Amino acid sequence: MTPANDTIRFENVSKFYGEVLGVNRITLTLGPGITTLVGPNGSGKTTLMNLMTGLVQPSRGTISVLGLEPANATQFFCNVGYCAQFDSFPRGLTGFQFVLDGLMLFGMSDEDAHGLTAESLERVQLDAAAARRNIAGYSKGMRQKIRLAQAIAHHPRVLVLDEPLNGLDPMARAESLALFQELGRQGMHVVISSHILDEVDRISDRVVLITGGYLIAQGNIHEVRQEVRDKPMQVLVRCNSPELLASKMFAVNHCVEARLHTDGHGVFVRTADIDQFYRVLNEIAVEGLVKIEAVAPADDNANAIYQYLIGSDGSAA
Amino acid sequence: MSVFLHEYQPYSGRTTALWSRPLVLARYGLQEAWSSKITIGLFVLSLLPCLVEMVMIYVADNPVARMLIVRGDSVLEINEKFFLSVLETQCWFALVLASWVAPRLLSFDLGDNALPILLSHPITRFGYLAGKFIAVFVMLSYVTWFPCLILFVYQSYASPQPWAMSHLGVAIGIFVGSIVWIVLLSLVGLAVSSWVKWRVIATGAIFAVVFVPAGVGGIAMAILRTKWGLLLNVPVVMTELWMRLLGVPPFGNPRLWLPTGAIITVLIAAGLMCIAVLNARIRAREVVRG
Repeated sequence: MTPANDTIRFENVSKFYGEVLGVNRITLTLGPGITTLVGPNGSGKTTLMNLMTGLVQPSRGTISVLGLEPANATQFFCNVGYCAQFDSFPRGLTGFQFVLDGLMLFGMSDEDAHGLTAESLERVQLDAAAARRNIAGYSKGMRQKIRLAQAIAHHPRVLVLDEPLNGLDPMARAESLALFQELGRQGMHVVISSHILDEVDRISDRVVLITGGYLIAQGNIHEVRQEVRDKPMQVLVRCNSPELLASKMFAVNHCVEARLHTDGHGVFVRTADIDQFYRVLNEIAVEGLVKIEAVAPADDNANAIYQYLIGSDGSAA
Repeated sequence: MSVFLHEYQPYSGRTTALWSRPLVLARYGLQEAWSSKITIGLFVLSLLPCLVEMVMIYVADNPVARMLIVRGDSVLEINEKFFLSVLETQCWFALVLASWVAPRLLSFDLGDNALPILLSHPITRFGYLAGKFIAVFVMLSYVTWFPCLILFVYQSYASPQPWAMSHLGVAIGIFVGSIVWIVLLSLVGLAVSSWVKWRVIATGAIFAVVFVPAGVGGIAMAILRTKWGLLLNVPVVMTELWMRLLGVPPFGNPRLWLPTGAIITVLIAAGLMCIAVLNARIRAREVVRG
């Protein structure tokens, strides 16, 4: 069990903006590593992040981040770094000043602040010449980088990133993802909201699915998928005789679909009972009629979970 | 199952005192304010009357110059009335400067939606506003009590008779009167700027907040036949306050003089209204109305 001072905890948290629901009855515990918030637009991801960073107060329930409450602003914000989704900055500052200004607000000495600013700019790979230019002249990707730099500059233990990959080109995106993974591996709590589900799959230790302000699921992607029992699981079996395997699979009740892979060297099997499926597959392998090369879940990813639990229209399925 | 190395080290160096953090925002606010050529122009313009007044003090205190220029006429007296007119001139220039500077400090942040980023630092809304307030306050100090007291010191130096000690009340009056005015102006400027995100409109709105109530008060006076409508007339209220602080004898219709208590109450009420507006408007997020 992870101790309270090493987790982000939401206990029955609701947030209403007047009569508009932000999030409702969220109970959540997030440990170190990368957590991705997934949900359609307006689902409450940003509200959840604002609650996490103390920018809005919950209407009901309690939030603690590493054992700290947002009311204790000094300690709280020293431990939390936030990268807002808004493409907005205080006017008239250069990139360097923007990060430096933030560090001074954290109470760092001039010397430390300069050192940490240079370090964070290096981490996000924003070169020194660009950092000395006014932010107003930055490209969208550079603005994302400078936002990320200010979020990590003070060495927070929790990093909250609202749509941090928007506007980044593929190279910059890959660099950012590598940075998030590195920070996550080092034991930082990295909370990301993203619509780019393929990348969510690659980097996330756990996902939090949210829609309409309600928590739909949370946990490791594979665990969540296994919990979605009403949707048959899809497995890709690579073998030398996919047609024969498909015919054998159709003979058992739990198999609802078998579809040949386009390359002709595998079959997608959709099964309502994964345990039974593996048992049957074992028997087929033992018989020796089909030489099985590889077995892998085909819908054990964020995209599939999103489709199953939230649906393409954004309403929870 | 992921493996976390737990090798990440948060910052553990020394930090500055919490109370000093708003000064960071004040510093950047001043930098932003001074980055405009119009600010510099207004600043220079607001100091020109001081140069004229300095020459007047020189002429008044120099027998030869006095003889040559005003031919010994006693019209040029350096007394409480002179410093009242100096203070009034500078304070109205301060209004012009405040209406230009305050929106630059606040409307930009609100218009650019920069508050979530700023308030996700260890600084409260109060700290944020304190930083902006200090920036406006310092700017307005440059054109109000600071030059006025320099003129007072110059008069004390240039006067052939001992002058300073017998007029110490004028210096205190200048200082207190300026502080009251610039605190009020700073609060009005920030409150209006927090309400009106468009800078140009915010500038106009600051003037409107100062002068429109005077018209409303005038109408109330005419209809209700009462002097209390004058309490909405900021120029009258402030002039009466400055007169009392500098020890200038009252003039005009005595029936229209306002009690000091009423003036102070109105100023406190105006300040509290501004604080209430700021409290409602300065948030990390827009309030969504159902």
